[in-house]
Amino acid sequence: MANNGTLQKALETLEKQLNQPLKTALEVCARCGICAESCHYYVSEPKIEHVPAYRAEQLRKIYRRKNNFLGKIFPRLVNAIDLDEKTFDKLVEMAFSECTLCRRCTFNCPLGVDTPLVMRTIRAMATATGKAPEILVMLADAAIAKGENPEIFKELFLQQISELERELQEITGDQNAKIPVEKEGARILYVALAGAHTILPPAIIFNEVKEDWTLSLYEAANYGVFLGDVERAKKIAKRIIDEAKRLKVQEVIVAECGHACAALVWDAPNWFGEKFPFRVRSIIELLAEYIQKGILKVEKIHTQPITYHDSCNLARTGGIFREPRLILKSIANDFKDMNPNGIENYCCGGGGGLVALPEYYEKRMRAGKPKAEQIKKTNAKIVAAACENCKLQLADLNNYYNLGVEVKGVVDLVAEAILHRKKSISSVS
Amino acid sequence: MLSFSKTIALISLLFFFAGILYHYFVTRKLKLPPDFARPKGSWKVGVLYSFTFGMMPWAKESTRKHWLAYLRGVAFHIGIFTGLFTLALSFFINQFNETVNLIFALIVGFGALMGFAGIVMRIVERNLREISTLDDFISVALVSISLAFIALALIEPAFKIPMYLVSAIMLFYAPLGKVRHCLYFFFSRFFFGLHLGKRGIVHRFTEVSYGK
Repeated sequence: MANNGTLQKALETLEKQLNQPLKTALEVCARCGICAESCHYYVSEPKIEHVPAYRAEQLRKIYRRKNNFLGKIFPRLVNAIDLDEKTFDKLVEMAFSECTLCRRCTFNCPLGVDTPLVMRTIRAMATATGKAPEILVMLADAAIAKGENPEIFKELFLQQISELERELQEITGDQNAKIPVEKEGARILYVALAGAHTILPPAIIFNEVKEDWTLSLYEAANYGVFLGDVERAKKIAKRIIDEAKRLKVQEVIVAECGHACAALVWDAPNWFGEKFPFRVRSIIELLAEYIQKGILKVEKIHTQPITYHDSCNLARTGGIFREPRLILKSIANDFKDMNPNGIENYCCGGGGGLVALPEYYEKRMRAGKPKAEQIKKTNAKIVAAACENCKLQLADLNNYYNLGVEVKGVVDLVAEAILHRKKSISSVS
Repeated sequence: MLSFSKTIALISLLFFFAGILYHYFVTRKLKLPPDFARPKGSWKVGVLYSFTFGMMPWAKESTRKHWLAYLRGVAFHIGIFTGLFTLALSFFINQFNETVNLIFALIVGFGALMGFAGIVMRIVERNLREISTLDDFISVALVSISLAFIALALIEPAFKIPMYLVSAIMLFYAPLGKVRHCLYFFFSRFFFGLHLGKRGIVHRFTEVSYGK
């Protein structure tokens, strides 16, 4: 009866998740089909399985069997079905590989149906029953383990940061340039991702503007979010929240990462049921503020045509779409927007944790076709993005579709502009 | 017979309201997660936008591309609101003046036509056909037939009995089937508006201020 136990657990998870927003999403759809072309999956492969309303209907059918009068008495009228193993497996496959939770359907729906919420619910059901993709579970659990045993990795981490600091001093020519760690009372706590590429460029910027900052011991990535698992997501976020409270910082600045930013800014306060005693922002917002207030002086040093890919989690989830343009227009001579852009942008196809799942490579390459075509139309040589997963996806799309572009972070481009300015100043003097 | 059909329709109308209220309270009983995140903008402006400018055809790529389907839906719903209004009034007033009758009849009749067109679209268009349930067809058919009889009754009082009888069936079915999305529309646009406003997405009204 293991199967019945799994299905029972899945249905219990659904009932537990049922709140006003989810019930609304499950009830309100008029099945008008206007959401179809809003989905990058559908645009690249127009089939019924890629219509957002169709996807959400797969859970609604099960919901109606338990929660709807007609679903209980006359199930055929409302396509209500009982959950079985085969249906559940299909649901799980769909939720993890055929929806990047980008919200483009919601923004195009006359009713505002929150289809990503329905997909996240299926993910939660999958995770609760052990059917979520193993890689995502492993990555989430590894992050939790790190948070529970910081002493194990701390020494090595500090050694690595020490080496990075030397590299920073060499690059900037500033022997006083620092990458502070565990600095109590710093104004900002910067949370990077795994890898020096998300530490060095911000360090260049922070040292340039003489920011009072400290680097987090932890990475911002939160795979609990992709699993729809609030408990795991909370444990991963807790490491950073506790660190920020311990160091008494005023702001937590998140690296260029869409889901990590969305999780810490918009979800984490609700996971913990508290307003944090510090502000949480994306580094993109901070850079835009530096430039707007004249704290960071930059010049238009990038001469190649640059375009910008709006990360769904930054734009549609976080309202961050003016700031990157403000930054790029300050450092680029030839900035070209894609069409559509901003909150109407197409997802790159790599969201929702998809880039971490190698078994879905072909699917996400196909899903990324609309984005590839957008990039081609701009004739840009550089594609800037402010999300790590987007950059990975865009780099893969570049190879797959021979776009001939370079993919760079917005922060990287700003750091380059600073170094270029430093070089020009020192060569003049 | 007119009295009887009127009574049936009135009972169904009361059942409709009771049903919608039931769904409202069942939904309200569920948790509305509080939001502790620091807002980037005003949720009130977001909600206002969501119910007003956010509903305009130019506000979304989908309705810009499919403006004909959008207009069909708008005409259908204007027909519904006008039809329900005249139906409700008919319980108390026997007859409007001729001009008012004609105007209402045209609006409601056109709404009915748009409803029937919607049924045809649902059969002909592959995506719509595949995602539709029987309930979708029944709901749209009942509403459209009801509107048709309301429009006819406005012109020719002989149609009042079928108008009341069909409307009674429609109103009884409405809270059980898809038509109850008329309630959830408000929940959905409200939550969407919360999102748009709090997160500073409706940037025209909610300028993000740095340093504050």
